[in-house]
Amino acid sequence: MSTQNIETRLFGSDVSYNLSGTWLSYWVLMLRLTAGWWMLHAGLDKLMAWPFDASWFVGGAAQGTILAPFVTPFADGALLTFVNFAVPLGQLAIGIGLVFGILTRTAAFFGAFLLMFFYFINGMGGGWAHGLVTGELLGIMIMGTIATLGAGGLLAVDNRLKEMGPFKNSRLRKLLG
Amino acid sequence: MNNLSTADKIALYGGGGLVMLGVLVIGLLDMFLGAGHPVDAEGAIVHEALVPIDIRAWIILLGLVIWGLYAVYKVVGPAATAGPAPAGEPETMD
Repeated sequence: MSTQNIETRLFGSDVSYNLSGTWLSYWVLMLRLTAGWWMLHAGLDKLMAWPFDASWFVGGAAQGTILAPFVTPFADGALLTFVNFAVPLGQLAIGIGLVFGILTRTAAFFGAFLLMFFYFINGMGGGWAHGLVTGELLGIMIMGTIATLGAGGLLAVDNRLKEMGPFKNSRLRKLLG
Repeated sequence: MNNLSTADKIALYGGGGLVMLGVLVIGLLDMFLGAGHPVDAEGAIVHEALVPIDIRAWIILLGLVIWGLYAVYKVVGPAATAGPAPAGEPETMD
């Protein structure tokens, strides 16, 4: 079982600890699969019950929240049509990306982006009745963990993509796990 | 990661600082210095916030946006110099 010695300096303190590479890889895979199914399930649910109508969310629930100025313009017309497609297809893409490790970092980034809307709109819409730490905020943190660790290395299509031409470019490789 | 760039510092201190300020620090202040916290019949906690909850939400949002912008910057910004670690310096994972 490989062990990495982590040595760094952060917030003015030296940090040194041992980390099991095996357990880190394993645990990040667990996070990836769990968060991936969360998104995939949400996307498939909406697609199975098509048509999906997000107007109650972007036009109703978002009213009075701090995201209202950015979200309510999408409450009707072509922009609502865009949201009606973008949310389920986005969740589907994020879910597939995380479960199969395809463009893992990109999937995690957009997962956090999507959850940010759910976090503030659901939270504020419910009056933050159970505090500011909710499942959606923890979801954002999990997506951040996956993106930070670039956790696509295990059981991931990204392993193949890394060998392909466009991704040998270091910049595009950052989109992978 | 001992040589932090300005962008790294903004993400670490600005992003993380704001999220933790909104979630944890103001949460603690609210808990101990705010009004009482009765629980209603539906299990929701009813209390007057010391810091308006919208302000807390804005602080957290700003922190998340900083993190998000940093992530975008890491992809589209100037590429980090790649190469082996200097001789004598242990290779670390951070």
